[in-house]
Amino acid sequence: MARSLAVTDFLSTLDSHSRQFLRQNNSSIRIVNIKSYLMNSRNFTPEQTLLDRLLSNDAAALEELSRRYCYSLYTYCMSKLNSKEDSKRLVRNIFIALWEDRHLLPADFSLSLHLYTEIRKAVVQCINNKLTKESDVSVIEEKIIPGFSVTELQKAKQPVKHIYTKKSGTQTSVIVKRSYEESWWIKHSPAINLKGLKHALQNMVNFW
Amino acid sequence: MTTEVLKEKTGRYLCGQSVPAEKKQIQTWLSCTDEKKNEVTPEERELIENEIVGQVNAYTQSSLFVTKPDPWWKKITAFF
Repeated sequence: MARSLAVTDFLSTLDSHSRQFLRQNNSSIRIVNIKSYLMNSRNFTPEQTLLDRLLSNDAAALEELSRRYCYSLYTYCMSKLNSKEDSKRLVRNIFIALWEDRHLLPADFSLSLHLYTEIRKAVVQCINNKLTKESDVSVIEEKIIPGFSVTELQKAKQPVKHIYTKKSGTQTSVIVKRSYEESWWIKHSPAINLKGLKHALQNMVNFW
Repeated sequence: MTTEVLKEKTGRYLCGQSVPAEKKQIQTWLSCTDEKKNEVTPEERELIENEIVGQVNAYTQSSLFVTKPDPWWKKITAFF
């Protein structure tokens, strides 16, 4: 309920020009993106502010950070380990370790980079630990070892797919990922207006 | 690849003693992801999120409740 209210609040804050611009440029796609962003996070507090608040033992800041990233980390672990329990445990341990080391974080600390390295390390560590248990060896043989074949590893070299489907309940919506040039043009084209062009031409004339 | 080989490779990787080819193989495997594999409904997603966040919250609250003695480095920094 609070999240849907947040979406409407956000849309109501847009001025008429922005709303018109959204309508002209496939608003549905953009609103889906905004909604999915709001689904992941509960507020717009910058990450650095939340990290600073960790130093004052603010557990709510950690909750917000974990809510933003936990599902992405969980899906990554699931794709690698095929175990819900292990995936949840790894993600939980990463955020607990972040909480424990909150006073030791460097000045140029990057949370996304930290999570990226930690989750990869944790996945390898988990596989290494599982290989010591005989009960897990057969599962690893079936599900994980085929991933190390040459054909499977070659998938990492393939370009990212530009169109993918996202299931939202019963409906399936297609989200189109735009190319860099297209997204640049959409982002910057409203800024190029007659006044700006006139100003640029005047500058050029003055220069010559 | 057998499980024994994988165990040796991951062990060396974690210790930082793997040869470049092994390192590249493991890092490439870590970079391969299949998004379609783990599609869940928004309700399931929220449940998973709540479970993980709940466990993290429980830990942080308990750690704040049970105060630990200050470590040596904190005492020194407080002194300066």
